[in-house]
Amino acid sequence: MRILLVEDEAPLRETLAARLKREGFAVDTASDGEEALFHGREIPFDLAVVDLGLPKISGMDVVRGLRDAGQKFPILILTARSSWQDKVEGLKYGADDYLVKPFHVEELLARINALLRRAAGWSKPSLECGPVKLDLAAQKVTISDVPADLTSYEYKVLEYLMLHAGELVSKADLTEHIYQQDFDRDSNVLEVFVGRLRKKLDPDGTLKPIETVRGRGYRFAIPRNE
Amino acid sequence: MNPARRALSLHARQLIAASLGLVAFLGLTGIALDKAFQSSLVNNMEARMERYALAIWDEVNFDRNGHLQTTNIDNLPDARFNNFRSGLYAQLDSVGGSWQSESVKLFSLPKPPEPRLGTLAEFTGPITLPIGEDSSIKAYRYTASTQLEDAPAVTLRIYESDEEIFKQIAEYRKSLWGYLGIAGILLVLVQIAILRWSLQPLRMLETDMKALQDGRQQRLDRIYPNELRPISGSINALINSERSNLELSRNTLADLAHSLKTPLAVLQSEIENADDPASFKGEVYTQVHRMNDIVSYQLARAARSGHALYSAPVDVLPHAGNIVQSLEKIYQMRGVLCEFDVDDKAQFSGEPGDLQELLGNFLENAFKWAEHRVLLTVKPIYEPAARRPGLYLCIEDDGKGIAPEDIPKILQRGVRGDERVQGHGIGMAIVQDIIQSYNGELSVDRSQELGGARFSIRLPCLS
Repeated sequence: MRILLVEDEAPLRETLAARLKREGFAVDTASDGEEALFHGREIPFDLAVVDLGLPKISGMDVVRGLRDAGQKFPILILTARSSWQDKVEGLKYGADDYLVKPFHVEELLARINALLRRAAGWSKPSLECGPVKLDLAAQKVTISDVPADLTSYEYKVLEYLMLHAGELVSKADLTEHIYQQDFDRDSNVLEVFVGRLRKKLDPDGTLKPIETVRGRGYRFAIPRNE
Repeated sequence: MNPARRALSLHARQLIAASLGLVAFLGLTGIALDKAFQSSLVNNMEARMERYALAIWDEVNFDRNGHLQTTNIDNLPDARFNNFRSGLYAQLDSVGGSWQSESVKLFSLPKPPEPRLGTLAEFTGPITLPIGEDSSIKAYRYTASTQLEDAPAVTLRIYESDEEIFKQIAEYRKSLWGYLGIAGILLVLVQIAILRWSLQPLRMLETDMKALQDGRQQRLDRIYPNELRPISGSINALINSERSNLELSRNTLADLAHSLKTPLAVLQSEIENADDPASFKGEVYTQVHRMNDIVSYQLARAARSGHALYSAPVDVLPHAGNIVQSLEKIYQMRGVLCEFDVDDKAQFSGEPGDLQELLGNFLENAFKWAEHRVLLTVKPIYEPAARRPGLYLCIEDDGKGIAPEDIPKILQRGVRGDERVQGHGIGMAIVQDIIQSYNGELSVDRSQELGGARFSIRLPCLS
């Protein structure tokens, strides 16, 4: 999951970015509105966290600019202003949720997960496809209630595929959304992860959770349970 | 402001208007009097000439053949007939001869035309009368003629120069316009005095306002005329509201500073005394949380800074719509639906920000606690004599509701956020402050329709 974090306050930006990376997100940061719009228009993020009080271009204008550029990913706004007028205005300009500063990082993570699920059309906090169950908050995967032992990259690949269960996900997409910007994009590594995932999720080869669409990408093939 | 474009003072406006009226009135009066005087002069002249004609007629003798006999008439009615070029001339024409008054010398009067049958008396003027080779005068002419069957035709003409009339008119005009001018000046002076007197209260208000600005005076205490009383009343109300706002922000600031001191003191003692890093972290966390609540609460209070005195009424429906839309976006996945029963005539007499806080906080609570349904009811409250109707707001949900024993805790005022019932935190304190500032009432009970909590707010009418 790739997140754009826009915050001008350096200590807060760095702490949050570090925490989000620890949670398994690929994070791009921007410290002002201009940078935010530049990144946000170019890169297919899964979500953006935007502070409203930004230098150069205000957070509200960033949100509007991203929506005007046709970006549909969820946007969560951070604001020091807690009046209802500010909240209503932010949501009207295209944000999907708001968080008033100061906040608990746990709260931010919960909101981010909820928005990601919502954007992919999932309503429950865990993604369930057949016997495979992925808990977004705990970052745990079980198959028929038996915990699966996944590395963090394996988890990230599975999370992205399951969020878009039933849809075709290209390798380029997968790489874009999982790795930091500077990662060496060698698709062989992806194939290795997918191969390992198949073995871990489906040791006896009956479930066939991940389908390879030749030359185009992957699809999580088990239908959603809801 | 550009001095050239400065608005004319009331005094100047009044004075200009009154002076223009006065000039028009006096001018028209003068012109009318002048005209009347002129025509009466001309009428007088006609009467006088008729008298002269009769007098001359008496002096004239005819011989048996009807020929004019008199070549010298002694007893003329006006000495000017005998004075050379006096401006009054007489001429008699008949078959037998003609006669001219002594005043006609060295020139002759034009010969009258042959008289028509019967007798004739005619007055005309002013006409041009040549006297001598190269000069002429304006004059009035009176003609009397007879042309009877048994007598010879006789025509008597009297001319009088208009000089006399002009002299009189000039004289008359001089005194007429003189008097009118004096009257005008007097009236303007009286007008100025009246204006000064009637604008006196305004000047008084101005001095008082200046005194207010300089701080020499606390309010407008003098008794003003009826027309100014609403203004002085409004200004006093404004001063009061300003003063109470000032007090409120002072209090807010003091409250904020004082209430932050306690957590700061706790933090300080923790820094100095704590040995266990885990409990230190926990305490810091608690105190930060507490300070955040305090700051949010006081910020919200300061932002409101008392409700404005004459704010335009705010339509409730669009604000409610916006907030519900926002909340439905945030709580999308919960599948909570908000039903509206909002009277579209319902208006909130106060700051739009206050209305948004009321609706936002109550509705968000409802969305948080509801299973599936939230009901928002808004109705105006009418009272016969009220200037503006009051407002009834009711927010219900189908959640668990609030236990009766918890209700007093929720309604308790001045309880800090962290001591409040969970989930009805700082927002509750803010809305209660708002409701109180509008002299409203808040009650909490169980919703009859949805089974969850019901918050009812009544804001009274303004009179």
